[in-house]
Amino acid sequence: MSTKNKKVMVVGGGIAGLTAAWELSRFNIDVELIEKTPFLGGYAIQYCCKATDECRQCGACTVEAMLKNVVDEPKIKVHLSTEVEKINNSGRISVDLKKSSYRPDSATEGVIRGYSKNNSPLHVIVDKEKCEENPDAVPEGAVELDTMGFSGKLDVDAVILASGFQPFDAEQKGTYGYKKFPNVVTGMDLERIIRENATVVRPSDGKTAQKIAFIQCVGSRDESLGNLWCSQVCCPYALRMAERIKHKNADAEISVFYMDIQNVGKDYAGFYEKCKTDFRFVRNIPVDVFPMENDSLSMRYMNEEDGLCINEEFDLLVLSVGITPGPDNSDLSGIFDVGLNEDGFFAGMDKLNSTSTLKGGIFLAGTVAGPKDIAASMAHAGQAASEVIKHLGVS
Amino acid sequence: MTDMKHTDMEEINIATDVLVLGGGLTGIKAASEIAGSGYKVILVEKDAELGSQKGPESLVGLKEELEALQDLESKITADSNVEILTQASLVSAAGVTGDFTVRLSKGKEVIEHKVGAIVVATDFATAALHENYGLSPADNVLAQSQMAELLASEAGKGKLANKTVAFLVGLAQDGNPLVMERVLKSVLALQEIDGCVAYIYAGDLKVASDGLERMYMESREKGAVYFKLTEKPEIVENGKTISFFDSVARRNIEISPDVIVVEEELRADDLNEEIAEILRINVGPSGFLQSDNAHFFPVRSNREGIFVAGSTREISGLPSAWTDVENIAVEVKDLLGDGKKSVAKNKAVVNEDKCVICLTCYRCCPHGAIYWGDKKAIISPVACQGCGICASECPMDAIQIGGFNDEEITEKVKSGVVSGNGTPRLLAFCCQNSAFEAGEMADMFNMQLPEGLRMIKVPCAGKIDLDYILNAFVSGADGILVMACYPGNCKSENGNTFAQWRVNDAYRMMEEVGLEKDRLCFVGTASNMGSGFSSIVVDMEKRINELGLSPLK
Repeated sequence: MSTKNKKVMVVGGGIAGLTAAWELSRFNIDVELIEKTPFLGGYAIQYCCKATDECRQCGACTVEAMLKNVVDEPKIKVHLSTEVEKINNSGRISVDLKKSSYRPDSATEGVIRGYSKNNSPLHVIVDKEKCEENPDAVPEGAVELDTMGFSGKLDVDAVILASGFQPFDAEQKGTYGYKKFPNVVTGMDLERIIRENATVVRPSDGKTAQKIAFIQCVGSRDESLGNLWCSQVCCPYALRMAERIKHKNADAEISVFYMDIQNVGKDYAGFYEKCKTDFRFVRNIPVDVFPMENDSLSMRYMNEEDGLCINEEFDLLVLSVGITPGPDNSDLSGIFDVGLNEDGFFAGMDKLNSTSTLKGGIFLAGTVAGPKDIAASMAHAGQAASEVIKHLGVS
Repeated sequence: MTDMKHTDMEEINIATDVLVLGGGLTGIKAASEIAGSGYKVILVEKDAELGSQKGPESLVGLKEELEALQDLESKITADSNVEILTQASLVSAAGVTGDFTVRLSKGKEVIEHKVGAIVVATDFATAALHENYGLSPADNVLAQSQMAELLASEAGKGKLANKTVAFLVGLAQDGNPLVMERVLKSVLALQEIDGCVAYIYAGDLKVASDGLERMYMESREKGAVYFKLTEKPEIVENGKTISFFDSVARRNIEISPDVIVVEEELRADDLNEEIAEILRINVGPSGFLQSDNAHFFPVRSNREGIFVAGSTREISGLPSAWTDVENIAVEVKDLLGDGKKSVAKNKAVVNEDKCVICLTCYRCCPHGAIYWGDKKAIISPVACQGCGICASECPMDAIQIGGFNDEEITEKVKSGVVSGNGTPRLLAFCCQNSAFEAGEMADMFNMQLPEGLRMIKVPCAGKIDLDYILNAFVSGADGILVMACYPGNCKSENGNTFAQWRVNDAYRMMEEVGLEKDRLCFVGTASNMGSGFSSIVVDMEKRINELGLSPLK
């Protein structure tokens, strides 16, 4: 196989970027993997396992495995805290890189931690002053964010854009009180809560949440926002997490407010039947949430059967936020001269080949091209790798 | 694949021809891609015709794609690297990846071929659900496919002018986005015809696929009326009227459509079961040919070198079938290379002196990697995944797994229970794919872990021999954890089940010698749940503290 000196840049170190990089490395192709944050794994590495007494095929564990593949693979060179500045596309694609301007939300003690044991570095110092105040809280081997990042020029033969998505900002739906009321969390928050504690607690008091409501389609299928797409992941993650909660705490009362339930996994029919016996499904999207004295939440919604309004109290409210276009899409679209579709995701060449673009040498992988779950992102990245291999004439 | 490090390698020659089963659109694409990588392809189709003749109805609204497919079809027909066998079927398949011998029947002829890899690319089948709605097929009661067929021709469209059409979808079964997409495409196509009005009676709208929400909105803007129901509407006189009670408007809504279109269930191909049996691959939910196991997604089966594409493995529209095919193209290229493969000599070694060819290993290998010769069982180094289930099941202890041989593990057990400062000695046998990763994560993130805990890495929980458990107790372990992947998450399909059985055997023996059952625990874990690992082992230490140290010490 003649793959000598072929080099591909993958922009984005989430599950799609990791998968694309690893697939290419299997063919002896050198990969430059660019990630703007200080850690690999993107959002998917932050998700929890949703097994009850059996696996629910959420795929979160496969992200761990892929991250390990990548960090163990010498053909893949990782540049953390780095982003693309510009490209020069004559012959080979010459990419100017710069240190990323990305700054994580401030962390307690000034240090943020990776999500996987395979993250390297595992701890990053984002606030030096805070760390100097309390040097004992700084783990050994922590790296200063300011020292990270690569600036310079790299010449590559192809680029895969895998810069991912942005979870919908739930604060935009102001009436739900996200970030105002402590016990209103997003699906992303709940993933992290379970990942870190292996159990579900109320943020306000650390007590086990008994009465929990999930609201589906927050930021998806929403005409008022102009978000005319189904995010494809929220019904699966919400129902899987709800099943997990119910499995650990049989007394938990869970309600799911929805428009249309989307299929979850291959054995959907059986799973949904179980969900219907375990939870209450209400075909209505609530509008208003009010705080109560005990930090519980009062939620108003319409009863489908009689059309009357009901106020109901919940301990914890989970907003099933969807997938929205990545924050850098318009910048990257300009830099790489690849168009976005009407929803703001990157546009593939056609419906059957959504990994190639109209621009030769530039390919797409994962949620950069539209909503996908973990398995679909990995499959899409495999497809992108295949198209790149064909493009490079590797046989 | 395995991340074990092997140093003693040898190079073997493997067959590089590829068998593709199914000459539908997915199979054609697979043949084209694989032949494009330089491999010879044998494409087998049971019917007389290939591809685009077989299912144009799924392509309503995809005119350009249909043309591209017809190009593809003529391309592979002209490609000397693709041998097309129509009206043919698979009779048998022997051997392992890199060295399959397949027999194909065409008419009275049986053709034998050596192939290195096999791709299964069957299509989905459709079944109209008239009966579920109390309807019978009639001129005014059409199945979804019949409607799509009408819409595919100008004459058909002419017949639909000025008609009121009612669609029934998602009320007889839950359906999926492809069922929905077929309905939405038909609705949008009807809206191009003069005087057509569409009513859609629907359960959950399955819009979890690219572009469907927009298609739904577009059809609504153009005047389609959607009734979202939780129960089937009342239908009288085979579709003369449809009515339901609208709870918000508090009144009955009745319509008399000219045409009723009944949804179709999309099912696994009838051939799947037979193919699975011949190829010894596992059947997943609803007759599709892939276990519901995240480690196999997208295109792997339980056997190395046998790949599943598109609707073979789950209901797929063309875009996702294409994605599968590209993934298979990469896998095939990686697997077959240039026909020379470097393999580890010690992946799984059968001791000829001990082996009595009882075929226990052949039967328990979840990867179909074992066959036999005159003197002993033979484990293919290409097909073997190194899980070690065979080694632990072998009644003669004739099999050793590279990197995890019994002596080494026994040694680790012994050194793991060397007594410390009086804290309980806990041994955790950890599958390297889940618990071991989780344990290391818990350690790295400074989560709480018992002082006396030692982890012993195994390639799969299926490698945990009953002897390991018993020896560990004899050596002085106060508590033992057998930590496997959750059911449905084992890379070797049922290694965790084997481990569970062995733990049950151990319970029986513990009972006989009067050792408390609570000293042994079988538990599922996930590689990304350091916190879960920590809480499991901390709970275990608590239980052992309540029991006191082992009486066997």
